[in-house]
Amino acid sequence: MAPLLDVRRLGISFPGAAGSIRAVDDVTWQLEAGRTLGIVGESGSGKSLTGLALLRLLPAAAEVDDASRIFYRGQDLLTLPEDRMRALRGGALAIVFQEPMACLHPLLPVGRQVGEAVRRHAARPDIRVHTQVEGLFAEVGLPEPDRIGRRYPHELSGGQQQRVMLAMALAGNPEVLVADEPTTALDVTVQAQILTLLRELQEHRGLAMVFISHDLAVVSSMAHDVLVMRRGRMVEDGPMQQVLTRPRSQYAQVLIAARRRLHESETDTGHGDAAPEPILHLDGLTVDYAGRGLRTAKVRAVDGVSLTLAGGRTMGLVGESGSGKSTIGKAVVGLVRPSGGDIRLLGRSLAADRWRQPRAFRRHCQIVLQNPYGSLNPRLTVADALMEPFVTLALRPAEGPWARMVAGLEEVGLDGDTLSRYPHQLSGGQRQRVCIARALIPEPTLLICDEIVSALDVHVQFQVLDLLKRLQKSRRLSLLFIGHDLEVIRFIADDIAVMHQGRIVERAGTKQVLEEPQHPYSRSLISAIPRLAAA
Amino acid sequence: MTTVLTVLWHLTRAATLIAGITILVFLLVRVVPGDVVDVLAIEGGLTDAQAEALRANLGLTVSWFDQFRAWCIGVLQGDFGESLRFRVPAADLLWHAIPVTLRLAAASLLLGFVLAVSVSLLATLRPQSVFVSLVDALNIWSISVPTFCAGLVGILVFSLWLGWLPVLGNFLVPVIILGVDAAGQIVKPLHEEMKELGTAAYVRTARAKGLHPLRIVIVHVLPAAAPVLLAMTGLIAASFIGGALTMEVLFGLPGVGSLAFNAINGRDYPLIQAVVLFLAVSVILINFATDLAHRLIDPRPER
Repeated sequence: MAPLLDVRRLGISFPGAAGSIRAVDDVTWQLEAGRTLGIVGESGSGKSLTGLALLRLLPAAAEVDDASRIFYRGQDLLTLPEDRMRALRGGALAIVFQEPMACLHPLLPVGRQVGEAVRRHAARPDIRVHTQVEGLFAEVGLPEPDRIGRRYPHELSGGQQQRVMLAMALAGNPEVLVADEPTTALDVTVQAQILTLLRELQEHRGLAMVFISHDLAVVSSMAHDVLVMRRGRMVEDGPMQQVLTRPRSQYAQVLIAARRRLHESETDTGHGDAAPEPILHLDGLTVDYAGRGLRTAKVRAVDGVSLTLAGGRTMGLVGESGSGKSTIGKAVVGLVRPSGGDIRLLGRSLAADRWRQPRAFRRHCQIVLQNPYGSLNPRLTVADALMEPFVTLALRPAEGPWARMVAGLEEVGLDGDTLSRYPHQLSGGQRQRVCIARALIPEPTLLICDEIVSALDVHVQFQVLDLLKRLQKSRRLSLLFIGHDLEVIRFIADDIAVMHQGRIVERAGTKQVLEEPQHPYSRSLISAIPRLAAA
Repeated sequence: MTTVLTVLWHLTRAATLIAGITILVFLLVRVVPGDVVDVLAIEGGLTDAQAEALRANLGLTVSWFDQFRAWCIGVLQGDFGESLRFRVPAADLLWHAIPVTLRLAAASLLLGFVLAVSVSLLATLRPQSVFVSLVDALNIWSISVPTFCAGLVGILVFSLWLGWLPVLGNFLVPVIILGVDAAGQIVKPLHEEMKELGTAAYVRTARAKGLHPLRIVIVHVLPAAAPVLLAMTGLIAASFIGGALTMEVLFGLPGVGSLAFNAINGRDYPLIQAVVLFLAVSVILINFATDLAHRLIDPRPER
């Protein structure tokens, strides 16, 4: 029997003045009815373009090779007339994307948006559109399916928004569902729910699915077969279990090993210190964000958090988005003003009179932020960026600033040539290294890392974490490591504090929290972590 | 409760704005050298003594503060004073001028709106077509050709050479000139916004539903571009209410623009103040309507 989808020699390029960029190169795969193919790769690997090409939704600038073929039920989708392609789009071939908030029209009630798809494809002309929409909402597990359609996207949670997107995709009664990073923008517990829903839908409806993700662990829980892509090429393909246990390509081996090593790393508790002195002490810290205008009330982001971080230790601060974990980091470095409680750094109280601290004291606490693309000024060279702490903190190193900058870069694994570069000439991992170098140049006692590897690809994540761990040992830094990825936290942290709705609900050694979580919220958080399927 | 507070807050702001504008204009017209009596003296050859008597008679010899107080009390009682030159209530003059201006402004705005929306819609739908050039052509026209130039040429061509339309009292030519001018101002930002929105994730979702491009542009792209459309239309509407002056003067339309022009020339203080008060209230009403329309379209809380 011929496969449902048969992709042959798919090639996509972006022609430009400086030569064509090859985004997808010679990709071939098949998908049988009712099966799931996982496509794994880092950003820029061409995995999403491969998915978009199936529905001919590629950006206007993209060009598909003449030799490429995508057969669906014997017809080549790439040469199909546009009106016939439109009938398939959202009909037999459906897609869900990442970031459902951005994918739903902000000005239309969600019921209308789904109804539009129902009406367009008229898969069940005998049933009223309204009734069908209600049925779809019930099928994807939305609460009050008869009423939720009147709501607007911003009135729904991220998980509910993605369920609406799924309802929309199911409206045309599809045979193939392309899921392009459907859970990437969601919190880990919500991710687990959406993945379960996808599996159920596939089973009930007999969907064939193309599941695209950067996260091998997520893909391993969803897919029968897997395709690993890198820089536009397929580097590995085969049944999921076979790829996990006996990866042929070096790249797949690295990906799997990185995941495993994160997972299996033993945190060495205790550094042989009898009683390490506390570096940072939070006492009932409270932060409110002011509401805007007359109508909105204040939002309490951090609600009476007390926490002590000892010298040379790493505290992992975990929680879902909106739990207040980043706000704590910002409050410690003084980017937001606490509305109550106290912050003591090296015994000095910061909450009350931060600006009365001597300039030199501020060097003790530095921060590295999540997005290395946004946190380096694109118009400053690396040298300019690294020069800033010397100016703002009035540092006067004996060896001179330049030598210190070069030493700082070497410490994070970059060479002195990097100084003359601009951020756009560096990769994401290199940029984050520059940010770390900038934070370390003042020789801080406490380094706050706010989701510093979330924007990086998996194997780069691993390198940055390794580097951080090494630096921490050699410098005896204290780290406050804020993150949502528990695998990353497991790798780096000695202790974990779990945050939920502005409060710390559990605090203990890393091993204990991850293996025997006490609080129900920590338990649900930990059970939701996607893991590599047993191999 | 919060809604009531918000409305009260907006009303207070509007009232403060109107008060500020009227006080400012009240002072400005008096700072300008020469008053209505000077104008009448030149026209009618009054002696100094006659002029002084007239000034006293018109109430111009009392202090500015007293004049302002008298005027305010009048306004609160619905009396906008009497035109110093024409000796008729300023409100009557204004009342006759408003419909003329409103008709001109509304017709021009409608033409501009429809023209701008349809051209940018077509240009978005067919990015390779002539409509994209038309967007730029309209925009460059509105920037580079002042309406009074187009007006003069219009009179020359249609009235004097072709003899199609009467020179004065004509309505169609100014409407077309103002409408095209408005379209040129709206069409460029609107088209840019719609182009930008064409790459938005939710427009990609609409394509993924298999919708027809025309439906995507009308149902998904255009409403999302409405804030730009509303803001531009509001600005232009406000400028038309008071600023169709050159067109009104050129084509002899007895609207608010002509009235203001004559009032300023003749230093006719009560008339100027009445016109300015009308303009201030109109502009605030237009802004309020734009805000309201924006809120009706966008259900999200203000950011």
